[in-house]
Amino acid sequence: MENNVIEILLVEDNMHDAEMTIRALKKQNIANNLIHLKDGAMALDFLFGTGEYSGRNTQIKPKVILLDLKMPKVNGLEVLEKIKANEDTKKIPVVVLTSSKEHPDIEKCYELGVNSYIVKPVEFTNFIKAVSDLGLYWLLLNQPPQ
Amino acid sequence: MEGEIRNKAKNGSLYWVETTIIPFINDEGAVYQYMAIKTDITLVKRIEAERDRIEAERDERSAELEAVNKELESFSYSVSHDLRAPLRAIDGYALILEEDYENVIDAEGKRLLDTIRHNAHYMGNLIDDLLSFSQLGRKDLAKTLVNMTTLANATVVEIGRNKEHNATITINPLHNVMADKALIECVLVNLLSNAIKYSSKKEKPSIEVSSTVENNEVIFCVKDNGAGFEMEYADKLFGVFQRLHSVEEFEGTGVGLATAHRIINKHGGRIWAEGEVEKGASFYFSLQTENKKQ
Repeated sequence: MENNVIEILLVEDNMHDAEMTIRALKKQNIANNLIHLKDGAMALDFLFGTGEYSGRNTQIKPKVILLDLKMPKVNGLEVLEKIKANEDTKKIPVVVLTSSKEHPDIEKCYELGVNSYIVKPVEFTNFIKAVSDLGLYWLLLNQPPQ
Repeated sequence: MEGEIRNKAKNGSLYWVETTIIPFINDEGAVYQYMAIKTDITLVKRIEAERDRIEAERDERSAELEAVNKELESFSYSVSHDLRAPLRAIDGYALILEEDYENVIDAEGKRLLDTIRHNAHYMGNLIDDLLSFSQLGRKDLAKTLVNMTTLANATVVEIGRNKEHNATITINPLHNVMADKALIECVLVNLLSNAIKYSSKKEKPSIEVSSTVENNEVIFCVKDNGAGFEMEYADKLFGVFQRLHSVEEFEGTGVGLATAHRIINKHGGRIWAEGEVEKGASFYFSLQTENKKQ
């Protein structure tokens, strides 16, 4: 990994959702340093420098993690739990993205310390708006704790 | 000494006897005779066996029911999650096409893309409505004393905030009821939104909400001067996905009144409608009065 700056880590198994999310962020000019990973296992390997990411400098942390909940292998909830349980990663803001407002895990996400929760609307224009607002908010307005 | 013994009758059939054996003891302390009292308890045994069978069956049923409920829950979740994702892709990629190929697509092409997107949104609404309808069955009623006048006024304000309309809405003083406030609010939202929608093409849309008390129940009425309907189809109004107007005429998914119906049924009340084409419609629902508790 040559890149020394990672602004956004997008963890999303649905390629279409990922493409639309990245497009929305690009339109806001905030997708330059975005990394997209396709499942929770990869996300954990990336964050903790294990598996195919062993040796990665884990001190280079994303400014924000956009995390889908429903993923194969390791789901978003497990990823969130591991991020928030680790001293080194718990300060990275995590925004959970999911398709359903009916998700029984909403409460669980907040218990685990999620920073924000976005229900992906069917209407793409709303989706763009949600994604853009949140990207700008976390990257430009929010001062991460030192 | 007591015991239950299974005996074989002379005709070969089995029967149960409860046997009590009493020994008689002489002065030396030796048993000199016994008396056995036998009672035929075949019937008792049969009833006991039947009771055990019914209990086992009941336990099995409730376990089954629990499993079915769990399954339904995960089904609802899958419906809301998995069906929405492809819809989002349909809508999103149609928009991308529209934006990125703006110069290549003519007006007719744009109309076709808009139709695709419109239908994706519509199906999204259908999924949401159907989901909340199916969830009604699982919720228990949380009854409190509901001030219906306040609730109806608040509902009107809330509807006005979400959608612009030019209807004059009159809320008369209403009777209070014992009911689940959130669910009754949902009924009011559905009936008032319908009244606004179906009277929207009138020059002066007007809606009135009132209530009367009859035989221990309060009957509420939401009346409008809108498109109305033919009375012969009145029973179709409350079925899921049943509509008396086309989507082109009046938008809607056909779940609202089915939801209202289900909520009022759950409260032990009734819901019905009266209407006349182009003269308006009145929707009625009954709930128990505030002082009659369950």
